[in-house]
Amino acid sequence: MAELQKKLQTEVEKFQAVQKDYQKHVNLRQQLDAQLNENSLVKEELDRVEDGANVFKMIGPVLVKQDVTEAKQNVQKRIDYINGEIKRHEGAIKDLEKKQESQREALSKLQQQLQQQQVKAAARS
Amino acid sequence: MASKQAGQVDIGQLPIPQLNQLVQQLEQEIELFTSSLNQLKLAQQKFLESQECLNKVSPENNSKDILVPLTSSMYVPGQLSDVSTVLVDVGTGYYVEMEVSKGKEYFKRKIDFVTKQMEKVQPVLAEKYKMKQVTVEILQLKIQNQMQAQQSAGPAKA
Repeated sequence: MAELQKKLQTEVEKFQAVQKDYQKHVNLRQQLDAQLNENSLVKEELDRVEDGANVFKMIGPVLVKQDVTEAKQNVQKRIDYINGEIKRHEGAIKDLEKKQESQREALSKLQQQLQQQQVKAAARS
Repeated sequence: MASKQAGQVDIGQLPIPQLNQLVQQLEQEIELFTSSLNQLKLAQQKFLESQECLNKVSPENNSKDILVPLTSSMYVPGQLSDVSTVLVDVGTGYYVEMEVSKGKEYFKRKIDFVTKQMEKVQPVLAEKYKMKQVTVEILQLKIQNQMQAQQSAGPAKA
């Protein structure tokens, strides 16, 4: 019976590790979502700017003049990159969800086994 | 007993610990939505302020004396020189130079955007709050019933 308890313990630890991983990916995805929104807003603004106007990028404490088309391209590239990252995290999240489910089932089965053993041991004594 | 359908689970049928969990979960969601609403309100105020300031940057105030902040606690006297264009922070480190009128339009757009988001959050918040109220009522009723049942079972057992 002690061996079954040890097995339960390891399974519980594995489950908690999967949960932590899952939470990490969910949080990252939320962050990326916010970044995506901000970049979309910036892209909209840049689209409104006429081609001759001045656009500056803040690099550290310095405002550096940038070309409007270049700025638009940069923002677009960033948006595409963020979208790729979001897709990647969403895939990981789905996988981890499935893993969590199967871990949960394995845990409950082990718990049932342990309970049965405990009942048998109590009946014997 | 009044019971409200929540998805496919009838809240009236849930046992007390589950009801407790549900109340806590709803409280968390309410806190989240309230804080989001507050943040939106703050953003709206900031944009409103910026828009107001632009009203001061006008040709009639050209060359007027102003105090320019160099640090958070130090200002230097100066003169308003350029009243035609302003640099607007549009996010992610980008600044766009635009005319004062365009700047005012920009802030108006931002204010409308934030107001729309606030209007989206408000009804959801109200709904969650109502659900919490109903769940708390049912929980209290169940606890009362349980206590009464225990009391009436007590003397019978003894």
